[in-house]
Amino acid sequence: MNHPSSSATGPFCRRTRREFLWEAGAGFTGVALAGLLGMDSQRVRADSAPGFVNPLAPRRPHRPGRAKSVIFLFMYGGPSHVDTFDYKPGLAALDGKTIAVKTFGRGGKKNEGRVVGPKWRFQQYGQCGKHVSDLFPHLATCVDDIAFLHSMTADSPIHGSAMLQMNTGKILSGSPCLGSWVNYGLGSVSENLPGFAVMLDPIGGPISGAKNWSSGYMPASYQGTVLRSAGDPILDLQRPAELTGSMQRQVLDSLREYNAEHAALHPDNSNLAARIASYELAFNMQRYAPEAVDLSRETEATRELYGLHNPRTQEFGRRCLLARRLVERGVRFIQLYAGGAHNDDNWDAHTDIEKNHNFHAGRTDRPIAGLLQDLKQRGLLDETLVIWGGEFGRQPTAEYEKGSGRDHNAFGFTMWMAGGGVRGGVSYGQTDELGAAAVEDRLHVKNLHATVLHLMGLDPNRLSYFNGGLDQKLVGVEGAEPIRAILG
Amino acid sequence: MPRPSPHRLLAALVAAGAVLGVNAAESGPTPAQTEFFEKRIRPLLVESCHRCHSAGADPLKAGLRLDSRNGLLKGGESGAVVIPGHPEQSRLVEALTWENPDLQMPPRRRLTAAQVADVAAWIRDGAPWPQESGTAPAAAQSDSAAKVRSHWAFRPVPEVVVPPNADRRDTPNPVDAFLQARLTEHGLKPPAPASRRTLIRRVTYDLTGLPPTPEEVEAFVSDPSIDAWERLIDRLLESPHYGEKWGRHWLDLVRFAETNSYETDEAKPHAWRYRDYVIRSFNSDKPYDRFIREQLAGDELPDGGADGVIATGFYRLGIWDGDPADRELARFDQLDDLVATTGQVFLGLTVDCARCHDHKIDPIPQRDYYALLSFFQNIAPYKNEGPTDEVPLSEPVGAKALAVTEPGTVVPDTFVLQRGNPASPGDRVEPAFLQILQAPAPHIVPPTSGRSSGRRLALANWIASPDNRLTARVLVNRVWQHHFGRGLARTPSDFGLQGLPPTHPELLDWLARDFVGRGWSVKRLHRQLLTSRAYRASSTASPEALKLDPANDWFSRFDMRRLTAEEIRDSALWVSGAANPKMFGPGVYVTLPREVLASQSVPGKGWGESPREEQSRRSVYIHVKRSLLTPVLLGFDLAETDRSTPVRFATTQPTQALGMLNGAFFNGQAALLAARVRDEAGITAESRIRRILHLVTTRPPTEVEVARGVHLLQSLERDAGADPDRALTTFCLLALNLNEFVYLD
Repeated sequence: MNHPSSSATGPFCRRTRREFLWEAGAGFTGVALAGLLGMDSQRVRADSAPGFVNPLAPRRPHRPGRAKSVIFLFMYGGPSHVDTFDYKPGLAALDGKTIAVKTFGRGGKKNEGRVVGPKWRFQQYGQCGKHVSDLFPHLATCVDDIAFLHSMTADSPIHGSAMLQMNTGKILSGSPCLGSWVNYGLGSVSENLPGFAVMLDPIGGPISGAKNWSSGYMPASYQGTVLRSAGDPILDLQRPAELTGSMQRQVLDSLREYNAEHAALHPDNSNLAARIASYELAFNMQRYAPEAVDLSRETEATRELYGLHNPRTQEFGRRCLLARRLVERGVRFIQLYAGGAHNDDNWDAHTDIEKNHNFHAGRTDRPIAGLLQDLKQRGLLDETLVIWGGEFGRQPTAEYEKGSGRDHNAFGFTMWMAGGGVRGGVSYGQTDELGAAAVEDRLHVKNLHATVLHLMGLDPNRLSYFNGGLDQKLVGVEGAEPIRAILG
Repeated sequence: MPRPSPHRLLAALVAAGAVLGVNAAESGPTPAQTEFFEKRIRPLLVESCHRCHSAGADPLKAGLRLDSRNGLLKGGESGAVVIPGHPEQSRLVEALTWENPDLQMPPRRRLTAAQVADVAAWIRDGAPWPQESGTAPAAAQSDSAAKVRSHWAFRPVPEVVVPPNADRRDTPNPVDAFLQARLTEHGLKPPAPASRRTLIRRVTYDLTGLPPTPEEVEAFVSDPSIDAWERLIDRLLESPHYGEKWGRHWLDLVRFAETNSYETDEAKPHAWRYRDYVIRSFNSDKPYDRFIREQLAGDELPDGGADGVIATGFYRLGIWDGDPADRELARFDQLDDLVATTGQVFLGLTVDCARCHDHKIDPIPQRDYYALLSFFQNIAPYKNEGPTDEVPLSEPVGAKALAVTEPGTVVPDTFVLQRGNPASPGDRVEPAFLQILQAPAPHIVPPTSGRSSGRRLALANWIASPDNRLTARVLVNRVWQHHFGRGLARTPSDFGLQGLPPTHPELLDWLARDFVGRGWSVKRLHRQLLTSRAYRASSTASPEALKLDPANDWFSRFDMRRLTAEEIRDSALWVSGAANPKMFGPGVYVTLPREVLASQSVPGKGWGESPREEQSRRSVYIHVKRSLLTPVLLGFDLAETDRSTPVRFATTQPTQALGMLNGAFFNGQAALLAARVRDEAGITAESRIRRILHLVTTRPPTEVEVARGVHLLQSLERDAGADPDRALTTFCLLALNLNEFVYLD
């Protein structure tokens, strides 16, 4: 019965008498030996029969899923939709004019503003004829594999809470992330790597730091593990300099003998056996994780494809290539941040949209296109869902009296998905003619989350975790529907 | 892609006849109708219409209210807007389609075709409107009302007679009498007693969170006196480390942290004073009823003093968004945090589940939620003067504490918020306690100071009353939980209908009454539990116990437990000899790996680096920054900081092994332990190994264990070329990684 609790879809907010939950250790498959068994947060070793159960194995989804892994390319700071993928020919004509338009950003609510026309030319690409701006010349060649979501909305136009919502579904901190939910629902098939890996931009972490990959009220096994593309990939993976490999092996062998004697005195405590096993898993991680991040065996053509030869794209390209390698090794959920720290170190273009977006699109366009092409040529795109987007978009009007900077916009923005069972060459939803707000087929962050779970074979309205008197769901107690129009 | 216009879609719907089947508006909506309404219709009305057409609208447009079925049928200035069963005749639908240029609603944003179709379908179906929440408990109206009222936790705590001593052995402790009765019932024998060596380690950790020294162990093992156990308990309860251990349990419950979370995760100045207050309160065995009153209303107590002010930090420990998207909603999120925390921590009830509608399981109507919320309605943060280390504090204490105040005696009205939406206020409510607990009306008297309303004191007095049906039960269950590994009721913060009922309800009630009757003394309660035979039982299960009592429902043995995050780190410090037992004061900043700081948007912001001796203090004194929790603790299932944590996880993960093998902290402690042993334990490998294992396991090692260690030292030096100091440090690292070091028998 090692399956996450599923409450029937009944009246919203219905609480089921909670099922016994195994806290199958998603973090690393290996982890989830018997010692990891647990329940919701109030029922640690509550009503279980002791004994050796193996919640290690990946779990069966509610139904067969199309996607096996997710790569979430998080464009931290909020890219402007009207300058990238949401073509607004009427906006250019209004450039410089002050018009009535409702906006809500960090500068508060406004009723009018000076239009900043899109700063890049749009051209049509692919069979679908999608308009894409000149910011993304490489990515534009992939539009027939992409489903664009133009009517995204979020509940907050403030970075901190909007990021929490994009990652956890809630604007309040303390809830598990999308990556936690996926691993909770499916387990992990990777033996030696975390099931939820986060790769930050070397420029800096995002605002709110670790809250963006926290497992919230779920056990720590479901939290994201920060993976570095250079140096020691995982915290404490590297042996201390003074301890050679052979010394460590001797220590582990001796430790196992001590622990085995101790466990023999407590034969009915399977946690002890789990902890013994965890040392071997740790040892294997030390051996195999560095291999996963070692790009030296990649061909020149592949390196070229990801832009590794260009200083401008090299860094993000490395991480995209790494993401593909993690997918190949069974990692469920991989999140890459494009942009870090504050202000123009991410997509948060408050003063000069051209300078900011040229910089951030310039370092990511080639790598992302390379990633999509590479996944496709290896036959991985069908089972890998790639998501692109930020915590919100940007306003059609200028933030300040002068300049081209745009403030935040959660009333309407664009994200896209590719692969993993998503139809390509599709555009769904619309913002108004200015791009100020979503008007047609409005989507909420919850719909995006529901779509991800659905594609992974999980029912977003059934996947629940009991906490605080409630069957908590990623999509909230009221539930949300996947975006069926983009499903293949 | 061409899309059907709302009008065409509507025509199709109307032509198709009844959309949702039976028209049941008269007999009340069916569950399917309710679901449809709550999911598709009500949110739409709230979001798109209520700003101008509800009780909360100012001004109300066209005299039309769309927040009740009556309002809908009555219509506005130009007549009815909904004809149930006839969407094509309903002006509401006409307005939503925007077909009529003179009647387009909502005026600024046209609804989607699908939304209009939903409304049409709903009207076609008779416009069923579920009964409004907020009047009476849904559960109480049903057939099972009696069952709900007789739920064990909602009944008064009865007088319970201690069962007779069935096995005619001497059972001076009623705890054993109750447990024995159940064991006998299930054909089980009482468990064998644990050894003294096991017991002193168990109880020292359970009361202080620290290991006993080998010398303390030997003294207890060879103590011939008949009351050796009782004196040991007394010694530990008098230890200042007791408050550090038990204070931490409380800090888990009250979501203690010293920053706000969110973008800036700013520090909450003086939060450490609350932490110190809690530790001091446990050490002084402050009666629990007083402890409650101080935290909920210390500033309103006539004799509250400095502690009374500091204790109200309880209200300010939660997450706080300084830059919320919606200020009004954020204000109610704050209040919700208080209702949730107060309900779960003191009463063991998830009152917060009734924020948007009546509680679906427990008999807590939405009205009760807002009546409870109204006690906190007047709270304002006490503006403090920023960080100061001043001890003792000069007046006014609030200026140097994390405390609350009220702007005066007059409290703004509280309304039931429909669907929890601040923009949809419903009925006004007065402060009241939970109906199901059949409490008297609150007796609210503003304190003579005139500075506050007296509401919180009234609430505190009710919660801390001997007659409260939940308070004492919840507390004795928590104390039991931390001694026996699980509560008598296994869901310590949910005593409602979906919580797990206690395995020994009579024992729980007996303990609760006894606890209150003897002055709410927590230390006395510890003695009561710890002097039982059950606490002194062996963890070795007999084959029959495993068979008949697989989940240990009947306490047929003692459950082993893994040490907590703090206990693991503190034990390493205590064993290595590096420990700094200094108590209290501002939080400590331990050195964090560069990679961890790099995950912040501004690396190192809000973190410092305390001097080395400060870094060797107990974990409870480490600064708790919500977005930057200390990895060496976080890895071992630290309490979640953003909400109340009644039970911690105890996971096993390879990252824990990586941290203990490769991490700087454990390697540092291993080196210190090696240095200590070189000083203390002579020069032979054997004597050193013996001492290391003795310190780490608090028992003399076996000869096999010593020999294995000596062999490892030799082979590290011979095969791997390690120098003797390095080899000894490496063995110390091994010792700190032993299962026996992190598991308590």
